[in-house]
Parts: sequence; C-alpha cells; structure tokens
Amino acid sequence: MSEGGSGTVGEFIQGEDEPSSSWVILAFGLVTSLALLVLHGILYPGRDLPVISEILPVFEGVFDSGIWFFILGVMIGVFAIIATMMTEATSE
Amino acid sequence: MAVNWEILDIVGGDQALTSMFLFWGLMLLTYFLMQNGLSIFNDVTKSMSLFMLEKALGPGIDLVEGREGSASKTWFIQGMLWLIAASTLAFEGLWLKQDPTALHSLSAWGYDPTASSLLYASNFAALYGGVGMLLVGSSLHIIPRLSGTDLASERNATLVSFLWTLAVVILVIAAHDSVILGLNIFLIGTAMHTLGFVAVAINLLLTVSERKGALPIPGWLIMMGVLADPISVVATVLTGSIQTGTGQWLLAQMVGGTFFFATAAGVALYVSSSASGNPLWSRSLGAATLVGALATVNPLGASNGRMAADMLGVTFEQLQPSSQDGIAMAFLMALAMIPVMALVANLMMTLRGGDAFIENPDSAGIPELNLGASMLLPLAAACLFVQSDALSAAPELSGMSATMLLMAIWLVLVPFSLGAALHLFPTVTGRSLLSRNRARWAYWMMGGGALLGLTVSVMSDLIDMSLIEAAVEDPSALSADVQAVGAILFYGTAVGAIMHSLNAVSGLFRGTMADADRATSSSITMEDYSLVTPTSVRKIIAGGADLDTTVVPVGESDDAGGPTEL
Repeated sequence: MSEGGSGTVGEFIQGEDEPSSSWVILAFGLVTSLALLVLHGILYPGRDLPVISEILPVFEGVFDSGIWFFILGVMIGVFAIIATMMTEATSE
Repeated sequence: MAVNWEILDIVGGDQALTSMFLFWGLMLLTYFLMQNGLSIFNDVTKSMSLFMLEKALGPGIDLVEGREGSASKTWFIQGMLWLIAASTLAFEGLWLKQDPTALHSLSAWGYDPTASSLLYASNFAALYGGVGMLLVGSSLHIIPRLSGTDLASERNATLVSFLWTLAVVILVIAAHDSVILGLNIFLIGTAMHTLGFVAVAINLLLTVSERKGALPIPGWLIMMGVLADPISVVATVLTGSIQTGTGQWLLAQMVGGTFFFATAAGVALYVSSSASGNPLWSRSLGAATLVGALATVNPLGASNGRMAADMLGVTFEQLQPSSQDGIAMAFLMALAMIPVMALVANLMMTLRGGDAFIENPDSAGIPELNLGASMLLPLAAACLFVQSDALSAAPELSGMSATMLLMAIWLVLVPFSLGAALHLFPTVTGRSLLSRNRARWAYWMMGGGALLGLTVSVMSDLIDMSLIEAAVEDPSALSADVQAVGAILFYGTAVGAIMHSLNAVSGLFRGTMADADRATSSSITMEDYSLVTPTSVRKIIAGGADLDTTVVPVGESDDAGGPTEL
C-alpha cells in the first residue's frame, strides 16, 4: 500500500469540536452498565458480583470512613492538574 | 543568649514591651537606611549582594530562566498548588475533629495524624506555602513596576521559589512529627526558609535601590512587611522574650501583622488600583495602614505562639503575660483597628472609584479582593475579642481560637493574595487564565466553602465550649454532627483551589495572549468614540463606550467643501 497515493490519508486528523451526540453514547453506556448490574441482582439474588466482590474486601478496613470519598476527589483533581501539565507540555 | 536591654526596659521588666520598643527602633533604622543608603559602602554592598544572588550560586543558577516575569510565574503556580495541599489538610483536620479515627488505616504506613496535627500542618502550608508564595510572587512583579526598573535578579528569585517550597514541605512534615532520626526538622525547615526569605528580601532591596522616583505607599507596605519579619525575630531573640509564652505569642502576632498583613495590604492596594483603573483613593489612609501595621499588634492570628516557638526551636510556653504586658498588648491590638479600617476603606473606595461603577467586577481576582476587604474588619474585631480574652488570667474563648485563625487565613489572607495573583497572572505570564467562567466558579466554591464551612465550625466550637462550661460529662452528638457539616462545606475550598490551579496551568499553555485580551468583560466596548456634537454621558455609554473609551472631539464646520490644498 503506497503512502500518499490516491484514496489514502497521509496524516491523522483530530477534530477540535465535540459533537453533542457523543455524550448520548457515553450516557447510554453508563445506563446499560447500571441496568446489567440490576439484572445480575435479579437473576442471581444474594450472589456477589464476580471479580469485583473479590477485589473489594482487600480494601476493607482501609477506606472505612466517608472522608476517603472526599480525599479521592482531591486526588482526582491533583491528577487532573498533573495530566494537564503533561499533555499541554507535550501536545506540540 | 539574651541581652540585657536595661535602657529599653522602661516598663519594669516586661519583655514583650521591651521587644516592641526594640522592634520599632530597628524599623526606624531600616527606613532611614533605605532612604539614605549606606554611604560609602553602598556600591560595595550592592555588588556583593548581586554576586551572592547569581554568580556565587555557580552552575545552579543556570537551571532557571531569567526572562521578565518568570520568577513571579513560578511563585504563583507553586503558591496555588500549596493552596490545594493546605485546604485538603484543613478539611481533614476539621473532619477528624468529629471522627478521630477516620484516617486510622494510614497508621499502617507510620502516618497517624490527629485533628490538631493536621490543622497545624495546614496553617504552615497555607501561610508559608500558599499565602507567602503568592505574596512574594506578586511583590516580585509589583516592586520593579513601582520602582520603574527591573527585578535585580529574576533567575535567583525563580530558583529560590523551589528552596522555599522544600522548606514548607519540611515544616508541614515537622508539624506532624518534629523529631525524625533524632533531629528537630523544624530547625532545618526554618533554616531553609530563612535562606530563601533573605534572598527574596535582598533581591527586593536591590531593586528598590535602583528606583527612579519616590516609592509609592503600596511599595513601602510590601518592603516594610518583608523586612519586618526577620527584624521582629531579632527583636524577640535579643531581648530574650522568645523564651516566654508572651514573647512567643508576640512574635507570632508581629510576623502576622507585618509580613502577612502589611505585605498583603500593599499587594491588595496596588492591585485594586491596577484592576479598577482608578488612582489610590487616599494616600493618608495608605500611610495610616503602613504606620499602623508596624506600630500596633495585629489581632489576626493564633492565640498562642506555638508556631514561633517551634520554628525557632525553643520550648513552647503557655501565654501568661504580666498585667502590664497584658494591658499594653490589649491596647496595641485595639489600636490595630485603625490600619484595618484604613485599609478596608481605601480598598473599597479604590475599587469603586469616583462613580457608581466597578470597572471589571467580573474579571478574575477582583471578587477575591472584595471578599477579603469585606471580611477583614469583622474578622479583625472578632479576633480582637478572642485575643484579648487569651491575655486574661482565665481565658474562656480559647476553644474557638483555632477556627478563628482558619477564618483569618482563608477569608482574608488567601483572598487578598490569590486575588492579586489571579489579576496579575496575564501581565506576568503573557497569557490569560484559561476560562473566566471557571475562575468565577472557583471563587464561589472557595469563598463559599470557607465562609460557610468555618462559620459552621465556629458553631460547633461554641457548642463544645457551652458543654464544657456547663460541666456536662456526656459529649454531645450535636457538636460532632455540626462539625461534620462544617468540614463537608469546607471541602468546597479544596475544590475551588483545584479549579483555580487547573485554570492557571491550562492558561499558561492555551490562555489567550494577554495583549489580545481586553481587560474588561463587557462585549460592547469601543476603543474610540468620535464626539461630533455635544451630547450626554448617558448617550455615549449607551452607544457602547465604557470607562476606558477615549472620547475624541472631531472638528466640524459648516463651510462648503473643496479640494484639499497640497
């Protein structure tokens, strides 16, 4: 396949605008996930979720206070700043 | 170590007053030397100082760039990041007041924080990390502007910011556990902080020494605020009062009233004028703020001298002033209302200007300045009551002093320093903040979170104090519930700090170029308005002009037109 020939794209192009319909896809995916979780509860009542139910006990006794939700928020914010610095510095 | 200052000891052995007299004398000497120089030693001192700032550092100085504004930019960004750490530590401290075991799982890593240790660490992070760095960053921009010259060493100021940050990291760690491997790391942090502070002070002094004219009042406030910090330490150490609870408390108040209050006042006054386009409303009030900040004892601050004692490595003593010291300190604190009122009035009137408009009410930084100016007077009055009570034999309001200190930090000092930094950001970096809308949201999150969260925390403190006074043995769940609400509300401050930092970091890369961005938020502005016929101001403004529009009278005659004569 020759590069630069007719019918080929020479470079990657990323659009600047975000189509509003893309959020519909994300929202649909989220709703579907929640629906499947509910369905699991209906079909297999009383049974733990696979994989997740094995991971969560590891954190028992660690994140046992509501303060961790807030600290998690701060951590996400700090990581957002670090990510912004890295992506902005390397974007061009 | 202590020197016997018998000549100054005019009040019968009261060391606090003796320290104040020595401090005033040293400040007068500083002012005299700044105005008159060091005579024949001037040139030698200047060249030696400049050598120490740059060439003496060897290849280290080449690690940073020396472009104009690079120093302020570095200090601003680090200051904003410190505000995130400070607000998070304060939030955790407030939370642990009602749930002491919330972070017990961290003890597995050897970290076992308590509410008091977290709040203590947050004070270091906020005062020296956040407020201190933002104020120094603003000063490094403002002093050269007011002096009509360049900063003496842009590269040294940039490099020193990292030393300062490292010092604050050590102080924050020391606030949790001051002795590590047998070493008092408070002293290490203080030594590094002092080194950075001296470098900044020398840099600013060298800049001022090259001034082209008289230094305006905000410049004097900044310079005297910066210089008064080490001088107050020298005064309390020389008189030996640093060994007493009163001396430690006095040093904490002196540093708070000079480096933090006076420098913040200078920065805020400069920015209020630069943001509004109005001249400083009153020079007399500016002078009253300057003299008052140095001559009185500012009540904003902690009701003990623990920070001062820890940083200087002396044993912390309880505040037990002699009756004469107590009366004198209470009197000097009451007098501090004069500079506070002068500053608030000057700020408000300068921002408002001579008309009913505030020039750029929506631009980043101005809401913070308004918040700080609005909260300064009521908080100073409230702190005056708490501090006066602390000077008495049986204090009754000490239960709320820690929260009052948090209020002074997050509702006065942080708004002033952050507001100034946000306003100066485009001038310093060459780019605007990424989003004015995000800055507005961050302001509401930060200001609202601090105001509501700390107000609710004070309510919780009052409940606790009432129960203790009533000798109720069973602790009330109501107090803990109220404190939980206060902590959650204060979380908005951490979110606001993150939003501000994200906005600034993104603005560094993608913000609109400062010269392309108009200072006003109005969308119907005009550069010039051609005035052909007499008309009213109302019609000019209705035509899309604003207060920056240049009105150009255009000549007109009724003569018949004709060819232009060459």
